[in-house]
Amino acid sequence: MNTFRLTTLSLFLGVAILALYVNDAFSEEYGFDISEVEKKPYHLGGYIEFRPVLFGLDRDAALYKLKFYNRDEGEIIGEYNGKFQVDGSLEKGIGRLFVRINSDYRNSYQGDSFLTTFYEGYLSLKPSSSFSLAMGKRSLRWGKGYAWNPAAFLDRPKDPEDPELSQEGFIVASADYIKSFSGPLQTLSLTPVLLPVYDGLNDDFGKLHHINVGGKLYLLLYDTDLDFIFLTGGSKTTSWGFDVSRNITTNFEMHGEFAFLSGFQKRYLAPDGRILAREFDATSWLAGIRYLTEQDTTCIVEYYRNGVGFSGGETRDYFAFVNGAYDTYRATGDDDQLRKAAGLAEVGYGRMNPMRDYLYARVSQKEPFDILYLTPAITAIVNLNDGSFSLSPELFYTGITNWELRLKGTLLEEGSLTEFGEKQNDFRVELRVRYYF
Amino acid sequence: MLKTLVLLTVLFLPLPVHALDGTQLLKQVDRNLNPESYESYRKLINIEPDGRKKEYTLFTVKKGVDKIASLFIAPASEKGRSTLRLGENMWLYIPNVGKPVRITSLQSVVGGIFNNADILQLDYASEYNVEKVEETDREYLLHLKAKTRTVAYDRLKFCADKARKLPTRIECLTETGMLIKTIYFKKIKEFGGGIVRPAVVETDSPLYKGYKSVMIFAGIKKRTLKDEIFTLTFMPNFDSLR
Repeated sequence: MNTFRLTTLSLFLGVAILALYVNDAFSEEYGFDISEVEKKPYHLGGYIEFRPVLFGLDRDAALYKLKFYNRDEGEIIGEYNGKFQVDGSLEKGIGRLFVRINSDYRNSYQGDSFLTTFYEGYLSLKPSSSFSLAMGKRSLRWGKGYAWNPAAFLDRPKDPEDPELSQEGFIVASADYIKSFSGPLQTLSLTPVLLPVYDGLNDDFGKLHHINVGGKLYLLLYDTDLDFIFLTGGSKTTSWGFDVSRNITTNFEMHGEFAFLSGFQKRYLAPDGRILAREFDATSWLAGIRYLTEQDTTCIVEYYRNGVGFSGGETRDYFAFVNGAYDTYRATGDDDQLRKAAGLAEVGYGRMNPMRDYLYARVSQKEPFDILYLTPAITAIVNLNDGSFSLSPELFYTGITNWELRLKGTLLEEGSLTEFGEKQNDFRVELRVRYYF
Repeated sequence: MLKTLVLLTVLFLPLPVHALDGTQLLKQVDRNLNPESYESYRKLINIEPDGRKKEYTLFTVKKGVDKIASLFIAPASEKGRSTLRLGENMWLYIPNVGKPVRITSLQSVVGGIFNNADILQLDYASEYNVEKVEETDREYLLHLKAKTRTVAYDRLKFCADKARKLPTRIECLTETGMLIKTIYFKKIKEFGGGIVRPAVVETDSPLYKGYKSVMIFAGIKKRTLKDEIFTLTFMPNFDSLR
């Protein structure tokens, strides 16, 4: 009898403890205390990143010859990259101070390098919800294109292979005025910007000793985003443009950009090796869509017309010049022509997507096979002028809180005297591990 | 003539009255669920079949029938992201990217079963017409049809508690009647300022068997907000509203 009572009591206690545990687990599962989200006047956050990369070199490519003409690093080289990016802000009343610092570490065949850059650092004042002022280093990121932004006259060009990376800004003074309406025009905002260019102050923006004036007028009109953008002042050619974006249905968005550059000066290489300059009015534009299928596949497609880009003939001339310079070096040991070609690479031929017509296509599948937070994707960038392309499959996983993992490969088409065919690599594989804090 | 008029009145009067009642009822449920303009804190939890969870904390402001914005406060990887909805227009701002981009209502900025339209939910009456109202002892069942093709779900079967006039369960259906997800409203709580509403909103989906997403509200209060807050230009500054 006592044994029975003890057993019953034990069972009862066991069930009670289990019930308490279950109840605690339930409370834990659904617990949310408002004190968890109390706002502090300061913020410190950012991420730390480790990114090893493996390059498969194309030893016949022009840009390989340009870079490796006097050294042999084998067919495959490795590189270790580290990044530390920290954001900090301090708020008091209507004022806010924001700083973003980026540090890059690289260990490659060239040795170790370490570079710390102030990406952004500015003071903003917001006396009301419709008016604000900001002064300091800012990245404005104008334009609606995903891979390219021809109308972002006040930004550095972004990398279409990684368009979401944060960028270093310029030192500017700017204001925002916002007005809302009822009716077809729902929002109007005006953003004037001053960008001075002097020695030590935005000296990589353009010609020195100018105060440039830019601005953006934004309208939300008939459910369509419209931006009218301009830049003038002398450091760069006077430019104006606009962009547009609209949701057509619940799963279909369209966007576009247009830019007009007055009196753009282009330097290019003539077939005889002379460097020539030509001035002309250029128009660049972009048209794109973002489409989500019923299977949660997202497709982004953009066509980009780069009005200041090189023609197929100009690019072929450049690559032929590099090949000739390399042959001269092999025969005589004289690398003057190669150095000249390297200088030209910096001013145009070596920059990202230097030619005229491009197609960008990215297909990503959200959470295939019910694997939450996994997104496989494949991205193609096609040079429509010479038919060369890059193809980048990737796996992106965000299932662990505050961690991001991305495994990405890039294959380059190997055509002779074409943009992607003459790049220094045949392929590239990289793993990016990021931890946010 | 008089008889004809009376007959026509008897024949046609009940239809509009019935439709109006349904619409009024839906508006009442909307108002009981949220004040017309408010701020709130909520946590979104995605739960996988093996019990693993991922949590997001959001600060949300809403004004009128068609303006709502949310700011991610946690985790660190999402902090500073914000979303804005003006009617059927939606944008996402990512601090690293530095500019708002348009998103669509069927996408999900958090993964899991909640899509953007669920996270940035406007008043139901602003997006749906009431086609039919049925009654049981304890509940109303409203059959809702989307006003336009830009609304995330074409049809809703909307169950509301009769006494409290608050939603208890919503089945989200495609145009062909296929069930996309079911949303459950649980744990009625007093939030202060006369706001009494479910503190927990759960959802599951036959398309994601074994998965569950939960939204928990910790604070909702009425707040007067300017229209200029609900603009693209203001998106990077949403944190200043807290």
